[in-house]
Amino acid sequence: MTSTTEILRETAARLLASGAVEMVIGFRQGTIPMMNEPCFVRKPAEAGLLVWDSHCGINLANYVTDRKEKKIGIVAKGCDSRNLVTHILENKIRREQLVVIGVPCRGMADKRKIAMKCPGEILRVHETETAITAEGEGFTRTFEKADVLQHNCSLCTHRNPVIHDELAGEPVEEQQGVDRYADVRAVEAMSPEQRWKYFEDLLAPCIRCYACRNACPLCYCPTCFVDESRPQWVGKGQDPVDVRTFHFLRAYHCAGRCTDCGACERACPVGINMRLFTKKLEKDCLELFGWEAGLSLEVRPALDHYRPNDPNDFIR
Amino acid sequence: MGIEPGRLQFSWISSAESTKFVTVAAQVTEAVRALGPNTRFIKPLAEVA
Amino acid sequence: MRMLLIDRRAWQEGLKRAAGQYGLIGPVKEKEFHSFRPLKPGEMPDLAFQNSRLSPKHVVYPQTEPMFAYTLDEAREDRHLLKEVRREIPPRAVVGIRPCDAKAFVLVRLNFDTPDVQDPYWLRAYEATTFIGLGCNAPCSSCFCTTAGCGPFHEEGLDLLLADLGEAFAAKVLTPKGEAFARTAGWTAEAPAGAQSAFQERARAAEGRITSFVQTDHLKSIPVNDLYNAPFWEEVSFSCINCGTCTYSCPTCWCFDIQDETRGKSGVRLRLWDSCMYPLFTLHGSGHNPRGTKLHRVRQRFMHKLKYFVEKYDRGIQCVGCGRCVRLCPVNIDIRRVCNMMNGFAVSGEACAIP
Repeated sequence: MTSTTEILRETAARLLASGAVEMVIGFRQGTIPMMNEPCFVRKPAEAGLLVWDSHCGINLANYVTDRKEKKIGIVAKGCDSRNLVTHILENKIRREQLVVIGVPCRGMADKRKIAMKCPGEILRVHETETAITAEGEGFTRTFEKADVLQHNCSLCTHRNPVIHDELAGEPVEEQQGVDRYADVRAVEAMSPEQRWKYFEDLLAPCIRCYACRNACPLCYCPTCFVDESRPQWVGKGQDPVDVRTFHFLRAYHCAGRCTDCGACERACPVGINMRLFTKKLEKDCLELFGWEAGLSLEVRPALDHYRPNDPNDFIR
Repeated sequence: MGIEPGRLQFSWISSAESTKFVTVAAQVTEAVRALGPNTRFIKPLAEVA
Repeated sequence: MRMLLIDRRAWQEGLKRAAGQYGLIGPVKEKEFHSFRPLKPGEMPDLAFQNSRLSPKHVVYPQTEPMFAYTLDEAREDRHLLKEVRREIPPRAVVGIRPCDAKAFVLVRLNFDTPDVQDPYWLRAYEATTFIGLGCNAPCSSCFCTTAGCGPFHEEGLDLLLADLGEAFAAKVLTPKGEAFARTAGWTAEAPAGAQSAFQERARAAEGRITSFVQTDHLKSIPVNDLYNAPFWEEVSFSCINCGTCTYSCPTCWCFDIQDETRGKSGVRLRLWDSCMYPLFTLHGSGHNPRGTKLHRVRQRFMHKLKYFVEKYDRGIQCVGCGRCVRLCPVNIDIRRVCNMMNGFAVSGEACAIP
C-alpha cells in the first residue's frame, strides 16, 4: 500500500517539475514528538521533506492568505479545504491560484490527551492506521486512534476535502450520527450567573499570547481590534474583563465562518477550550440558517446573504 | 456570555416610527433600571491615594 | 560551602516555620499543568514536576503591573500628577524554582539594573525574593541548558540549591540570603559526607541525561549583517503565526509596553508584557512599521537572543535552554535548530555566494 506521505511527495514533485505550481505548502517532520511543522517546497528535489501523519493538525489555509504566487499547491484535509473555500469566498485567495492536494483525513491526535495518559515524558511516537504508540523511558503505551483524537476531530462530519484537484488516497467514510453540540447545550442550560463563573474559570489561565487568534485562518484582519490603539477598544493587560472581551469578540468575528478545525484550541499553550464559544455560534448558524461554513463555493455565507424568511423573533 | 437576560434587547424601528421608538426606549430603560447597576464587564481601577 | 541535610519532616516543618517570615511561592498543579503561585497557608509546593508550564518570571515581573495612578479631577489639588503605585513586597521565597529559571533572572537583570538606570519595580521585587532551587534529576528531552550557559544543577541566581535524594534533600547554601532562609526554617543539620557525594552524583547524572545541545561558539564572531541578511529567514519564519507564546513562556524575555487606562476622571499607567512577535510592538505613531512582516519579527527574536545580546553583554546567549518555546510553539519553530543554523552560517556564508 502506498502511504499518504509517499503520494504527497510524488504529487508535489510532479506538480513542481511540470511547473503547475510554484510552491507546495505542506508539513515536514517536527523536531519533537507529535509536532509537525508547516513548510513550503519550491523544488521537486525537496518534495521528500513532506510528511503526513496524525500530527498535522495545523490548518494550512492560514498560510495562503493574500499570497501573490500565481499557482500554489496546498495540502488540505477536510477542515483545511473548508477554510480554503471560505478564503476564496472572502477574496483572500483566488481559486485559480490554488492546486488543492486533498487528504482524506481520519482525524488528528490530541497530543495533550496522549501525554496525560502516559506516565512520563514521551520520547517517540509511531502509528498505524488505527493505533498510536507512545514510548518513553520505561514505558510503551498503545492507544486506539479513535480514543486520542482531538475533540473536534472526534466530532467531525467532513473528513474528506470539499474541494481538491488531486487526492492523496481514497475518500474515507464520514462519521454518522455524531452529536456535535453536547458541550454547548450543557453551557446553554446554565443560569447566567453559572455561565459567567464558568467562563471566568475557563479563561483564567489565558496569557493573551493570541495563539488562538493567529492559528485561525479566519483571523486575517490587517489590524485586530485588540491591537487598535486609536481608539483603543480593549485593555491589553490581564484584567479578566479584557481577557473575556478579547475571547468573545474574537469568537463573534468567526460566526458563520468557523469550521471547527480546532486550530485555536490546539495552539493554546495553557489548554483553554475556546472552541466552546465558536461552536455555540456554529450551532446557532446551523439551527437558524441551516448553514455550515466552507462547504460550497456556490452559496453565499449566512451572514452575507439576506433571505426574507431569516428568523428574527429576537427582535421586538 | 452570562449577561443577565433583559440587559440586551433588540428592536427594529423604522425612521417613521417615532412613537414606537419612544415606547421601546422607555420600556428598555425601565427594564434595565429594574435589574440594578451592571456588575459585569466593569473593571476595577487603582485609586489615587 | 555549607551543605545541609533536610529530611522530609524537617522540610515540611521548616517551610511552615519559614512561612511566618516569608511569603512562599511554589509550583502547584492546577488543571493539567504546574505553575508558580503564592502557597496558601499550610500548602506544600508540589515538587513532582519536570518544570512549570510557563516560566516563573511573573513572580518578579508581573504581566500587568500598575506603575502610576493619576486623577483628572479639576477639583483635586493633585490633579494631572503621576503618583507612584508602590507595590509593597515583603520578604518572600520561591521554593522549587529550577536552576534555569533562576539563571534567567540574572540575565534579565542586565537589562533592568544598569549603571545608568535601575528599574525600581523589577529590582524591589527581585531583591525581596529568596530563590530556593531544586536541581533537575530528570531533565526533559527538549532541555538544552548545558550548552546554553546553564545546567540542571546550575547555581547562578540561586540562594539555596536542593538535590532530591529520595528520603531527604541535600541543600547547598550559596548566599547569605539562603543562609538566612535556612536558619528561619530551622534547617541546621550539616550534610554528612555521604549526602554530599550523593548531591554531586545527582548533579553529574543529571548533566549526563541532557540529550539536546546547541552550538554557540561562532555567534559572536559572525558579522551581524551577514546573519541579518542570511538566506534562511524566509524558511525559518514561514510557519510562524506571530503569536506571543515563545516570548511569554520564555524566562529571559523582558520586553514591555506602557499603557494608560482611564475611567472617568481617574487612571493608571500600567506596564505590560509585550512581544516582538506582535506588529504593534514596533508600530510608529506615523503608521510606519519598521518590522512590518513576520520575517522581520521572527528574525528579530532570534537575532536579539542569539546575536545582539551576545555582542552587547558578552555573557553568552539570552537563553537558558529551558526548552519551553520548543515545547509550546504551536507550529514547531525550534530555537535549537535556528541557533545551530546561525552558528554554522559563518562557514557556509563565506564559502558560497548567496543567490
